[in-house]
Amino acid sequence: MAIKITGEFEVKRNPEDVFDFLTNPEKFAPLLPEFQGMSKQDETHFTVKVNVGISYIKGVADVKMELAENERPRRAQYKGQGSVAGGNVSLTAGFDLSPNGEGTKVAWQGEAQVFGRLTSVAGGLLEPLGKKQVQKLIDGLQAALI
Amino acid sequence: MGPEAAKKNWVGKPLPRKEEDRLLRGRGKFADDIKLREMLYLRFVRSPYAHAKIVSVDVSAAEALPGVVATLTGAELAPQVQPFIEIAPDPGGKIKDYALAVSKVRYQGEPVAAVVAESPSLADDAAELIQVEYEALDPVIDGEEALKDASILHEEAGTNRVWRGVFEYGDADKALKEAAYVVNIDRMHFHRFSSTPLENNVVIAQWDPKDERIYYQCNNSFPSFAIQFLAAHLQVHIDRIRVQTSDIGGSFGIKITTYPQMAVCAMASKKAGGRPVKWVETRSEHMTSSAHGNERTFRDTRVALDKNGVITAIVSRHIDDCGAYPRYEPLGCVIWSQVFPGVYRFKNARIDFSQAVTNKCPVGPNRGYSRMQHLWFLERVVDICAHELGIPPDEMRLRNYIRPEEFPYTTPNGCVYDSGDYPKMLQVAKGLIGWDDWKKKQAEARKQGRVIGIGIGTTLDSGTNNFGQSQIVNPGAPFSGNSQGANCKLDIYGEVVVAVGSCPQGQGHETTAAQVVADVLNIHPDLITVRTGFDTERNVHTGFSGTYASQFAVSGLSAVHGAAQKLKAEMKRLASSVLNTKEDDLEFGAGAQGPEVRARSTGKSINYWGLANIVNVNSAVLPVEMHDVTLNCRYIWRAPFKVPDTVKKYGSLTLTYASQLHIAVLEIDRETFIPRILDYVAVDDCGTVINPGIVEGQVYGATAHGIGAALMETCVYDAVGNMLTSTFSDYTPITAMNMPKVKYGHTETPSPHSYSGAKGMGEGGAAPIHTVSAALQDALFADGIFIDDSFNNADSLFRAMVGKEISQAKQLVRVERRT
Repeated sequence: MAIKITGEFEVKRNPEDVFDFLTNPEKFAPLLPEFQGMSKQDETHFTVKVNVGISYIKGVADVKMELAENERPRRAQYKGQGSVAGGNVSLTAGFDLSPNGEGTKVAWQGEAQVFGRLTSVAGGLLEPLGKKQVQKLIDGLQAALI
Repeated sequence: MGPEAAKKNWVGKPLPRKEEDRLLRGRGKFADDIKLREMLYLRFVRSPYAHAKIVSVDVSAAEALPGVVATLTGAELAPQVQPFIEIAPDPGGKIKDYALAVSKVRYQGEPVAAVVAESPSLADDAAELIQVEYEALDPVIDGEEALKDASILHEEAGTNRVWRGVFEYGDADKALKEAAYVVNIDRMHFHRFSSTPLENNVVIAQWDPKDERIYYQCNNSFPSFAIQFLAAHLQVHIDRIRVQTSDIGGSFGIKITTYPQMAVCAMASKKAGGRPVKWVETRSEHMTSSAHGNERTFRDTRVALDKNGVITAIVSRHIDDCGAYPRYEPLGCVIWSQVFPGVYRFKNARIDFSQAVTNKCPVGPNRGYSRMQHLWFLERVVDICAHELGIPPDEMRLRNYIRPEEFPYTTPNGCVYDSGDYPKMLQVAKGLIGWDDWKKKQAEARKQGRVIGIGIGTTLDSGTNNFGQSQIVNPGAPFSGNSQGANCKLDIYGEVVVAVGSCPQGQGHETTAAQVVADVLNIHPDLITVRTGFDTERNVHTGFSGTYASQFAVSGLSAVHGAAQKLKAEMKRLASSVLNTKEDDLEFGAGAQGPEVRARSTGKSINYWGLANIVNVNSAVLPVEMHDVTLNCRYIWRAPFKVPDTVKKYGSLTLTYASQLHIAVLEIDRETFIPRILDYVAVDDCGTVINPGIVEGQVYGATAHGIGAALMETCVYDAVGNMLTSTFSDYTPITAMNMPKVKYGHTETPSPHSYSGAKGMGEGGAAPIHTVSAALQDALFADGIFIDDSFNNADSLFRAMVGKEISQAKQLVRVERRT
């Protein structure tokens, strides 16, 4: 089951500031919804722990993240893979930055591919829940980058 | 005691089932009811991916959990066992199938590891601690796509095509050339669905280290098949495997292929030092990874018809999707040909049949196995041709049915249909439903804008199969014919005890076996004990014993009848000696001292206790010439089959052919597109009926199963191989709330191929699937819609009727008119 979401938002900071924020796991990761903790392996690899609660599937998921694209200050893309009881998820989150006056326009693309029993027992909930969680992340980013 | 000639015939009587008292009072004994000392509980860790490499499996956290006794992985098991036997020749024969995935997973839900713990909940918790790292691969979800081999499931086979064979009879090309009409149908599809028995799979295994024997208590429904696979896989002598079944809460064939889980439980018991290990399947596991029915696609069909609408030839290409591992396959590649022409008379045909593996749950025999897909295809062909040519569907069938006077009828591929009268069944069904009245009502309703269709489905339930058909798919296969065993004895106290090699799951074998023996011995069926369940150590089974393929009424009861006759012959010999009279002076029945054998001439008698006592306890009085009398008689019944011609794919594949004719009246709601059955008739002909109540019950069950499959039940996979219908709330199995009132009818054409005239029945030939498709076709054909899929719900009907995105006749059907 694939969930694809795209959008854009504007912030007042310049593209370099925005890029540096987005590509710093210690700043970016805590904005992930239901964030519980993080361990950093190196500058481009880190693992986040997030709470998962969909239908009766509840638990903590370890999501291995990689900063896969890193073109300062134009584009950043994360790839991630995680598992929780009932399923696995592979995700990508890309950010394209462009100057917008003194600020920055951020065009983002998110895609999650869900595997496993999760898709059946919570299939109908996944897409709206995914959209809601992504919106939380975007709201968090906007708030942090004001 | 009256004369034997005046005895009661218990066969044919609607005797209440002997099983009912315990089952309806909750006193049945099912596998999960069994609790053994020091029993451990097994839980599988299953793949979330449909197709992926296994990078690593880390069991350390699970093993560290208190209460966990052992874990198992595929990499650990593989060196200790042989891959399971493959029925297919190469390249399918090269497939390496293990009970736990070794280096890659091939369907979502495939077992990757197992954990054994002191309690079920501990096993659950520990399973969640096993970390498996995967590397996703491109999945193959569609059978036709699989044949392109863009992504290979089994590298050792080198192709996704398990088997291919061309079944060609007569001269189809000539018939197409000379036809008045040729109807071309681009694509049709029979969907994937399964069975939902009340009781899921259960295995208890104990590998006893003291004598290296494996003891199974389980609900596998074809144990004699399972032990052949298990012995080779586990590398133990087959005599060291004991399998016992007790009551089974439904199987419908789906419980035949549980031998991989049985293997894991045995290996887990071995690792746990011989403690018994129990695995109880959850419903979601059952839905995702037990077994599904075969999915089949019918491509490039060409139908030749003469000017009267009589079909003269069919040419088509069929692709069967067997899921990730063949297991019982590719037997399904030939089993459909038991009913090659269905109920029709055409002689010329060419079916190019392929089977492919895909990244979906492996298939297994499922009520109507392999034949229902083909029969649905034929019924669709008949209805589509009828509509295109403007011939009423009932008339179309009458023009094409095999005629009653043609029986026994030899089909183009050498099968011998024993008996039948399809026109009579149609007449009875039309009478029961009120065909002419419904036609009038339908015309009136259409004027009001209502969408009503009336459909006929005629189908066959071929029973008692010739396993020689396996040699058509693999000439090296060591199976042919069919046999069943039974034992009938007088116990030490004279009790009549019958043991059979079947493992019934609701078919009433205890009752019908008692009826047969009661007629042989002229006593009441209540005086006969029929052992429940299957047990290898009763020594009555053959290599074909189990319950499957609509055969007990023929194979099982023939064995029971044979064993009872042997017992009766021994009792006669003994009684003749004891009563000092000739055997033809003796009569059987019940007297003041219970069941007895009596001399007509003198009135002297000896009861069963007396006979058994002489043989077993008071043996000094047994004359020497009677020392071969055991009163414990095993009989093996063998079907009179020959090995088919494997090159021509020709020969008798099944002994009996029960038939079903259903009619449905169905309305599609204009607002919701929900199809609703307004009226339904099921007429059944299974030859001489052993027990009318049991037959009627089987007809209702099969009808419910088929209506559910036609309108509600489908296994849905998304593009990456996630099964989206792994719970009842998504799969929506049919319930009593969804069932229409079924009008039941019966006709009877006794089989000349069975001793009693009975034919195997119970699968129902999936008649409702054909019938519902036909009714939908009738409702929608005027709107240019053609039913090209066996599954139709409100969503698909909306897409066809409003979206115009599927099932459009103009795109799928083309008629060449040459008159």
